[in-house]
Amino acid sequence: MTDKISRRDFLKLAGVGAATTAVLTGCGPASRYVTREPYVKMPEYTYNGLSTYYATTCRECSAGCGLIVRTFQGRAIKVEGNQNNPVNLGKTCARGQISLHGLYNPDRVQNPGKHVRGENVFSSDKGAGFQELTWLDVTNIVADALTKNQPDEVAFLVGMAPDHLFDLVTDLTQTIGAPAPVRFGALGMFEARTTLMKAAQELFGQSGLPFFDIGNADLVISFGANFLETWLSPVAQTRGYSQLRKGKNGRRGYFVQLEPRMSQTGAKADEWVPLAAGSEAPVALAIGRLLAEARGISLPPAFANADVNAALSAAGVNPESIQHLVDLITASERPVFIPGGAALAQNNGLQTAEAVLALNAFVGNLGQSGGVFLSAIAPLADEYHRPASAKEMADFVGKLKSGRVKTLFIHGVNPVFELPKSLGFADALANVPQVISFATFPDETAVQADYVFPDHHSLESWGYQKVATGASSSVLSGSQPVIVPFFNTKSTVDVLLAAAQQAGGSLAAALPFKDEVEFLQSKLVNLINESDGFFSAPEINTFTAYFQQHGGWWKTTDDRVAPSSADVLNRSLNAAAARLDGDGEFFFVPFVSPILGEAGANKPWLQEVPDPTTTVMWNTWVEINPDTAAKLGVDNGDVVKVTSAYGEVEASVYKYPAIRPDTIAMPFGQGHTAYGQFAQGRGVNPADLFGASMNEAGDLAFAGLRVRVEKTGKTKPLARMESALGVYGFDAK
Amino acid sequence: MSTDLSVPVFTNQSEEELGGKWGMVIDQDLCTGCQACVAACSMENNIPFVGETDAAYGRSIQWIRIERFWQGSFPEVKMTPYQPMMCQQCHNAPCEPVCPVFASVHSASEDINLQVYNRCVGTRYCANNCPYQVRVFNWRDYADARVRPELVTLQNQLNPDVTVRRRGVMEKCTFCIQRIRHTEDVAKSEGREIRDGEVVPACAQACPADAIIFGRIDDPNSRVSQAGLASRGYHQLEELNLLPRVTYLKGESNNGSNG
Repeated sequence: MTDKISRRDFLKLAGVGAATTAVLTGCGPASRYVTREPYVKMPEYTYNGLSTYYATTCRECSAGCGLIVRTFQGRAIKVEGNQNNPVNLGKTCARGQISLHGLYNPDRVQNPGKHVRGENVFSSDKGAGFQELTWLDVTNIVADALTKNQPDEVAFLVGMAPDHLFDLVTDLTQTIGAPAPVRFGALGMFEARTTLMKAAQELFGQSGLPFFDIGNADLVISFGANFLETWLSPVAQTRGYSQLRKGKNGRRGYFVQLEPRMSQTGAKADEWVPLAAGSEAPVALAIGRLLAEARGISLPPAFANADVNAALSAAGVNPESIQHLVDLITASERPVFIPGGAALAQNNGLQTAEAVLALNAFVGNLGQSGGVFLSAIAPLADEYHRPASAKEMADFVGKLKSGRVKTLFIHGVNPVFELPKSLGFADALANVPQVISFATFPDETAVQADYVFPDHHSLESWGYQKVATGASSSVLSGSQPVIVPFFNTKSTVDVLLAAAQQAGGSLAAALPFKDEVEFLQSKLVNLINESDGFFSAPEINTFTAYFQQHGGWWKTTDDRVAPSSADVLNRSLNAAAARLDGDGEFFFVPFVSPILGEAGANKPWLQEVPDPTTTVMWNTWVEINPDTAAKLGVDNGDVVKVTSAYGEVEASVYKYPAIRPDTIAMPFGQGHTAYGQFAQGRGVNPADLFGASMNEAGDLAFAGLRVRVEKTGKTKPLARMESALGVYGFDAK
Repeated sequence: MSTDLSVPVFTNQSEEELGGKWGMVIDQDLCTGCQACVAACSMENNIPFVGETDAAYGRSIQWIRIERFWQGSFPEVKMTPYQPMMCQQCHNAPCEPVCPVFASVHSASEDINLQVYNRCVGTRYCANNCPYQVRVFNWRDYADARVRPELVTLQNQLNPDVTVRRRGVMEKCTFCIQRIRHTEDVAKSEGREIRDGEVVPACAQACPADAIIFGRIDDPNSRVSQAGLASRGYHQLEELNLLPRVTYLKGESNNGSNG
């Protein structure tokens, strides 16, 4: 990489690309050496008063939406969607918009350092809990950890983004013979991705993450899938929803949501069927049986066990509503059935996923427009590397507990907060002699670390994300720094590469890269000869320049795979309702806050964005049906104690009219004990109530809980956007 | 010697007035209530967060908000379609005549309501008179890093095209006037008219469902004019005859209720 491309050459190349907006790539590959310059010596393209735009990728979740970030004299001003990226086509969600509050967050870890476990201090000015180090020390510490331990004494736990780090760590662990990195993310847990993929594997005989073509369907029946909120790829699915409503030939698509608590997604449905938690599998199979009867065809084995009356009584819905659904499906040309995370997070979740996928096969939409596909495999990927299930995390925790792991590296995930306490992650860390965190923010897991070597924020980072689902084509979303790093942070990829060189031997030989960009190019070079990309280039420097300019590389083909329907309906499926855990009088529905997601609580503006259904800001609430609240003698703002067999939390009541009287719901996202001034000590974490019971696929059965609710006598009003007089009139609190 | 006593005829027309008339269409059937517009607006327009306590007092500063109401009770409960609500840029704006210092004035060229921050003395008469409740007041110095040290790093994000407001000033949606001006300048320097869809306010740009359409409503062929002709179109509080510039398309969804 000595023959750096000159800026002039790069601009010539960039002029060739048909970019509609002037998207600069920061001088091509050479820009990694850009430093913060005084105003009198700005780079040539920075004119006073004119903005510079960079294409990059959002990392607020792992969907991989493309961004165009407006910068102004070295500062990131505004995030917009990248109109060319097939995942989001120029659109963003609230979390993406407010990622700038992560970038400029005052609570970021600003220097690398040695940290005293349990101390919520990440700066040497603030106490003895943190002793700052230089990045040279960091290289030595990481190199020692990689060389002085036996290979199986090193473990890596990484998040669902970014993928280039996952690839590097995979290469690194293979070279030293260490166990492969474990990936985890709370969204993966709440979406029960493992269950969905296992069901697809078992029914279709093919592995892959299912893709639901909402936009081209004319009837969507969703079993609790919150696809307009955080599920899989929310921006792409919202586009699909918009297309569904606009309809083909002016015929507006219809949408039915079956779930115990009306979610933001459910609020957009034409019909809401409030079935009881855990009754999704029998209801899906009952629909299959009634559909077969309506069509006058013989009952396939998949629906043979269905018992319509038992399903209706388990679901607690009236028979007409199910019959009505069957009529809708019969009248529809392109129906699609979607299994959501909460429906699968039951002890019979795998049965539910299979039952819902079988309905799709029964209406013949597999591989059809408006139906079910397997998502396109991203460029550079052999398959989709899903996050670990709760079972796999429990095994990992067991390994940490056994003391075999001497050094644990953690990046991009906050398991101490996200995993249920019952899995004992935080306790297991006590048996790991050295915990190294690469946290950008001072999260709960970093509090338990011995070292914190902060990574750049995603908007200061290089990288790529292999898009798991959302686009019909195969997409690699590319990241590049939009500003010079704001604090004394360092890319984790650079830290690991430097440590590999320091370690020498086979590791240095296997990872002979001077820096992160060289590593990225070693991966991207595999795409140069691909013919069906939307751009191609004869050599790597030009390819990288285009890759930066356009914010990634994707194919122009439809790369979704049509699942095989051969054997789907011949499997017999179990029609029993889920077995619930605990003896409380209420079903418990935890859901990911549509605004905060898993890690948004440290961004102040995101805290102040009202929840779409309750309009609550800055806190955690418990949704209780108004009739139930009256029976319990509680009103809006009264604090109740929610107790499961595994834990208890206290939060204020929000009287929510669209929830079953036998069900309560709580949002996940708050309840941090660290994570900066805007998150810490705010609300509660419903994951504290979760048990450790799992479904057959190994996903956590978090929605299969029964809880008790008690009045505490305390009152703490919630900040909410709607009038404090509420929507119930002047007499209510 | 006679004096010409005839008064010049006031035509209520000016050269300026022949300029762009901007308007918006919001499709409530498509709006998913995701709040991307609220977030995008706050980032574009330097809108500060006010914190939990002030937010609970209803002092949060949001130029656009998503309204929703409930109808009925379980199980026949319905949520009305999500309704993004921002300044409707009324032609007959009730906020304007009540301002004693002409801080709330009408722009003849764009036919939108301007808020002149350095004239505003904070009487809040305009907010009192706004039937849409879309004007928001700076009860404290929410955006001042000298008062709120947590903003010292966050203020790097501020948009240099938009004024940062201080305590005692009323503010509201401007239809992203800085973006309109910028596009006008670009078009002028290139010696052409502004193309339809060239000006996109932050809310419309972010909206994942494409529920917000913005453009010139004096051009009958523009996308926004065409969309506004739909039979589902209506204006909020139409009976007040304020001639708002925002047309809503009635939502058909949300559990069968028709907003």
